[in-house]
Amino acid sequence: MDPRTRWRWSAKVKAEPGPGRRVTEVVVLTTAMLSFISFWRASAIVLCDLASTAYYIGGIVEQAVGKSAPWFILAVMMFSYAIRAVYMESCSMFVRGGVYKVVKEAMGGTLAKLSASALMFDYVLTGPISAVAAGQYLAGLLNALFPHFRIGWHLDPGWFSVVFAIAATVYFWWENIKGIHESSDKALKIMQLTTVMAVVMMAWCGLTLWLHPAPLPPFTLNFSPEALGWAPKLGWLKPVGAVGVIMAFGHSLLAMSGEESLAQVYREIEAPKMKNLERTGLVIFLYSMLLTSLTSFFAVMIIPDSVRISRYGDNLLSGLAMSVVGPHWARLLLQTFVVGVGVVILAGASNTSIVGANGVLNRLAEDGILVDWFRGLHKKYGTTHRLINLIVGLQIITILLCRGDVYMLGEAYAFGVIWSFVFKTLAVMVLRFKDRRPREFMVPLNIEAGGVEWPVGLALIFLVLLATASMNLITKKVATVSGTIFTAAFFGLFLYSERDNERRHADAHAVEEKFNLREETDLNRVGGEFKKDRRVLVGVRDPNNLLPLNKALDELDPENTELVAFTARVRSGLGLVEETAAMDADERRLFTRVLEVAEKHGKTVTPMLVVSNDPFYAIVQAAQAVGAAELLVGVSAKLSAEEQLERLAMTWGSLQTDNPPVRLRIIGAAGVEHNADL
Amino acid sequence: MGLYQKENAPKGPAGSGALPVVVKIAPLLSEDVILFPAEGVDKTAILEQLTAAVCRKAGQDPAAALAKVHEREAGISTTLDTGLSLPHARLPGIDGILAGLAVLKTPLVDPKQPELSIRAVFLFFSPDKPGAFPLHLQLLRGVASLFQAPLIEKLSAANGPADALALVRKSEG
Repeated sequence: MDPRTRWRWSAKVKAEPGPGRRVTEVVVLTTAMLSFISFWRASAIVLCDLASTAYYIGGIVEQAVGKSAPWFILAVMMFSYAIRAVYMESCSMFVRGGVYKVVKEAMGGTLAKLSASALMFDYVLTGPISAVAAGQYLAGLLNALFPHFRIGWHLDPGWFSVVFAIAATVYFWWENIKGIHESSDKALKIMQLTTVMAVVMMAWCGLTLWLHPAPLPPFTLNFSPEALGWAPKLGWLKPVGAVGVIMAFGHSLLAMSGEESLAQVYREIEAPKMKNLERTGLVIFLYSMLLTSLTSFFAVMIIPDSVRISRYGDNLLSGLAMSVVGPHWARLLLQTFVVGVGVVILAGASNTSIVGANGVLNRLAEDGILVDWFRGLHKKYGTTHRLINLIVGLQIITILLCRGDVYMLGEAYAFGVIWSFVFKTLAVMVLRFKDRRPREFMVPLNIEAGGVEWPVGLALIFLVLLATASMNLITKKVATVSGTIFTAAFFGLFLYSERDNERRHADAHAVEEKFNLREETDLNRVGGEFKKDRRVLVGVRDPNNLLPLNKALDELDPENTELVAFTARVRSGLGLVEETAAMDADERRLFTRVLEVAEKHGKTVTPMLVVSNDPFYAIVQAAQAVGAAELLVGVSAKLSAEEQLERLAMTWGSLQTDNPPVRLRIIGAAGVEHNADL
Repeated sequence: MGLYQKENAPKGPAGSGALPVVVKIAPLLSEDVILFPAEGVDKTAILEQLTAAVCRKAGQDPAAALAKVHEREAGISTTLDTGLSLPHARLPGIDGILAGLAVLKTPLVDPKQPELSIRAVFLFFSPDKPGAFPLHLQLLRGVASLFQAPLIEKLSAANGPADALALVRKSEG
């Protein structure tokens, strides 16, 4: 189950006593209710990852390529707009359109598992690099403040950042165990705070440069020996002019880590989904472009060369704060503010990495790539706690291994980012030929020739990514070695789990959600939990035919209406049936599909299951309990629409003696509708 | 001819403030269409007797009407767990609702759903015209709502058609 699902309620209702009552017992099972978020919240979640890189990217890239670093960071940020387009196209095809899903559809399971493994490397490192960087900033600030308070301490930035990073990771582990709502709220607040900091910082830096003009950073590349990796041994590389540029671009690429979060949050974005995804993409592009690129330029132009890397390599924005114009106390205040915001946003990035990795692993588990055990739900919070534990465990190991070295983490980090992009872009390109369904969004620059539409734009993006990824293999030793080992290990785990699953479930399995169950005693109490003005109840039965649900979702105004997707488990006999509050495979499949459709529309649905010996009584009783103003059902295979309406009207009257209006709607094929107001 | 009262025509989506047509049941009935069938008769015989009484009053062909009732009865059950059976049909050539009521002193097992007992049968015909279907549905809802178990219990103890009609009128208010 996705961490966004919330356990809403369940109810167990006994019919009024009396001989021959049709409804003998109704069990409403606990339902999973999806909640959807605005594009601002979605942007905040992605930016917590993407924008936080501003805090460490400048220092890492300059250590690798020299003072020209800002130009390459700018290039990477501009290129991220193209990557955003790739993600938008894949999301337009698959609601759960992360790397694994898209690569699998295009090129099969093996490459999909490989790309997902690379992506996991990215996520597992995102958390530690962010949390460790936060620790570095905090240590730098505390060391700067201690003398002012006559405290003779000096913190070791390395070990302090390790302790801090572990504490932050454990804190967000617990937040994720509890569920995502708190996290998206926090993400929004973090980004609001970051925006204030960015505006203050930009203005102050602008004033500094106005008073003390400085030249733009040079274009000259000056690779450190570490940044060259194995390249010096490959003499044939030297004469190729573009190699240096590609190498530098590759060292800067981690600036756009976090784009994958776009695919992860797409599932959560409210309607209109694609429009809101476009807005999210634009917001994160503009924001990260301004914050990450500008701060990198300002850092090189304002911080003196003598201290920029030696003293502030791991906390560049602190250096920037202490190098702007103004009295010492004001700069110290600015540094405190910058560090405060940095600690918060970097810790937020640590959280985003847990959320993102959990999302990816959930998709894999749903697809049978992880053994079912991993999908077990937390008894109290209903989250996939075992997956969260796995991710956080790996992150804590990484934090301990790096011993607070941000540069080392940055070196390794780009491996997962770039290779997941390579696979993803290739997959979207392959799908252009393999699946010619119309898309809501396509990466631009498509040329029609010979009756075929050639995806030139996609091909160019792919070539840039492939060249960069290949070059990184040569130049980034740490990334290549650690990334290969990690990816191979995860690939092995996925492969083993998949085979184990196939052995246990010989029939294979469709993608299914996990549902928690909780029992209540009063259906009317359940109805009272709906707070919006209107309620609509829609009957669902066949996962392959959800026309009424689609229609209801098309029309739904989430501001004032709540939608209940209802199904009845029909049992014969009139005696009390002690049904267990567990769904069978068909019901799980049905509700999984219901949630998928709801996700596609970006609107909330509350699924409900009732056990009864008469489906008409069951649906009418449920509709009356929730106070439905409309009741939608599909055309029956056995009854005409008129007979269905007649039976519903009779049942409605027999169960309700007062007269609130209701509209009954029978939805047939191609949207043909029969309705009646009662 | 039967009567119905259109208190407020629906003007928009349900729940938006529009009220549906409200059908009054008691004015549809009269003493000559309220029967107390003899003990031991089955549902088919009750339908025949009720159809005959209703058609006699309205000057309609009982055979054609009965055929329509049987056609509908062949479909999904018209018996509710309140003890009411609600056979109905849409009849060409009529302009309003035709209705009759049979009250059973002894419960009758429903032939289609043996687990249910029938204690009252409310039969009605509505015009077979496109615009009349909402009224038909209103009547189904209204009758099912009115004839709840307590009223049916009282009807079973009624002394005759006049007493039964008075009970229906009183219950409807």
